[in-house]
Amino acid sequence: MLSYIVRRLLFLPVVLFGVTALIFALISTLGPWTRVATFVPSPDAERHVDLEAIIRKYNLDDPPLKMYLRWVKNLLQGNLGWSQSSHMTVTEAIARRFPATLELTLFAVIPVIIGGIFLGVISALHHNKPLDHATRIMAITLWSMPDFVLGLAVLMVGFGVLGWFPPGRLSAWAELEVLKESFRSFTGMYTLDSLLNLRLDIFWDALRHIIAPVFTLACLWWAFMLRITRSSMLDVLNQDYVRTARAKGLSEKTVIKKHALGNALIPVTTVASSMLLGLLGGVMIVETVFNYPGLGLLTSTAATRLDVPCVVGVALFYAVILVVVNLVVDVLYSIIDPRVRLE
Amino acid sequence: MNIFKRLLKNRISLLGLILLLCFVFVAIAAPWLAPPKEGSDPYRIPRRGWSLEPTPPTAQYPLGLTQGQYDIYYGLIWGTRTAFRVGIIVITFRALIGIILGSIAAYYGGLLDEILMRFTDIFMSFPYLIGVVVFVSIFGPGLNNVMIPLIALGWMPYARMIRGNILAIKQEEYVLAARAIGVSDFKIITRHILPNSIFPVLIQASMQIGSIVISVSALSFLGLGAPEGYADWGQMLSFARNWMLGEQGNVLKYWFTVVYPGLAMVLFVLSWNLIGDAFRDIMDPRIQA
Repeated sequence: MLSYIVRRLLFLPVVLFGVTALIFALISTLGPWTRVATFVPSPDAERHVDLEAIIRKYNLDDPPLKMYLRWVKNLLQGNLGWSQSSHMTVTEAIARRFPATLELTLFAVIPVIIGGIFLGVISALHHNKPLDHATRIMAITLWSMPDFVLGLAVLMVGFGVLGWFPPGRLSAWAELEVLKESFRSFTGMYTLDSLLNLRLDIFWDALRHIIAPVFTLACLWWAFMLRITRSSMLDVLNQDYVRTARAKGLSEKTVIKKHALGNALIPVTTVASSMLLGLLGGVMIVETVFNYPGLGLLTSTAATRLDVPCVVGVALFYAVILVVVNLVVDVLYSIIDPRVRLE
Repeated sequence: MNIFKRLLKNRISLLGLILLLCFVFVAIAAPWLAPPKEGSDPYRIPRRGWSLEPTPPTAQYPLGLTQGQYDIYYGLIWGTRTAFRVGIIVITFRALIGIILGSIAAYYGGLLDEILMRFTDIFMSFPYLIGVVVFVSIFGPGLNNVMIPLIALGWMPYARMIRGNILAIKQEEYVLAARAIGVSDFKIITRHILPNSIFPVLIQASMQIGSIVISVSALSFLGLGAPEGYADWGQMLSFARNWMLGEQGNVLKYWFTVVYPGLAMVLFVLSWNLIGDAFRDIMDPRIQA
């Protein structure tokens, strides 16, 4: 177990090397100005100074390997370059936007897991009966719904028709309140911070804004979770030990709760990492639709304005999160399922 | 053939097949359903005016005109071709790369296998959609620049699958026999191993077409995909973005800009997923209570 974790941790730099090398190779094909913005960690790139002078000042005509090493050194120091689209350093932009995305993802994950598992189990227990078909068709339909189509529909109904769920993250008045000195920022997540500051009005406002994007994100992944749980539960229900449990006369409730459910949930944990991946990608679309200022909106705005340093910075940030999450999921998996031997 | 029969028998997958056939028909019959103007690029949606505000459906333009007076009906018909083309190209190259790397890794094993699989791991640790956005922001928007990273970041599951399949087959007697009589490695892989391991991979791959069309449209929606005026469903939806809240007192005034392109996309993806879902049940022998 320990050796497995150590091996995975040793592999982490290899992965990060691969990812950075790939990105570096792509960046090298850029025109001189964009490259300057990528490698020069200051607003200098914005001012129209002499290009030659900048290249000389930062040694941008060094051989690629030297450039790469210096770039990586910068990255390790948290220096990701200058973002032209948000007028601040990329590191600062990520630090400001990340809590918003984290808040959105956390809000979405809980209903997805609980709702998906619950309905998946119900669906499996009614295998090939009307209830199973109904949930299945609903899940496939939701799963076939591109996130931006669903998002547009939710926005149209929730804001356009009902006027309940406005886009954005806070109303203008709350935005001002949050910036005041009396409002202490603990996590950057407004729903949590407002509660800690005992400001229920702001909490209510933040909640109203977050519900529609959370609903959109959750719908898609809820369908995914349901499908995984259903097939894994069906698989377990056909196992010999479940038949034995039934044969010895245990009540159906005990069979399912004590014998089937725990085993059926094992594969569900493995999809958690791919769900997180999907959520991170989906966040980009959903945040754009709802104009919710998180990392996703940052990325899509930066991409349409060809702000390479910002997009690359977010990608690297995501890559690190992803590797860590994958590791945690694998280790958790081996703890939950003693049959899995990590080598 | 047995599988195909079972797909026809299952009501859910039959519905999917019928839907899919409708889309195939639309794609093939596009020049007759929505004849393009003589001499112009058929994939450019014709504009019926220059005003920005969408025009509701009329007898002449049954589905209405979206932002910039682009004909929605025309865009949907030719967009079907774009959807199929994009999906098929991406899937073909993904499967091809996956099959080549996966079979080399599995057949030769050892260090080569280790290197190729770590290579796969590196590609897998790249957040998919973000990776595509990185590529597009570096090389500029466009359909081709969306498809290339979708291929580059999507072949890994197939490589893993084919590798697993081959590892299982490699020790079969007929492969050992072929090697014993001195058949070349290339011939053994292409003639003996692949035909026996490729089928499930190809099926799995083709079922992904729906989700690829979603990804490409999503990027077009963000303004990173097809150029303005190109017949693409995602782009038609991005036109709708500015209008979906209608106007004071008549919120649903421009409903047609969202509903028609949205419906086309959902039905297209749904048809693939309905078939794929039934297929998964058929292929999985454990779930046959």
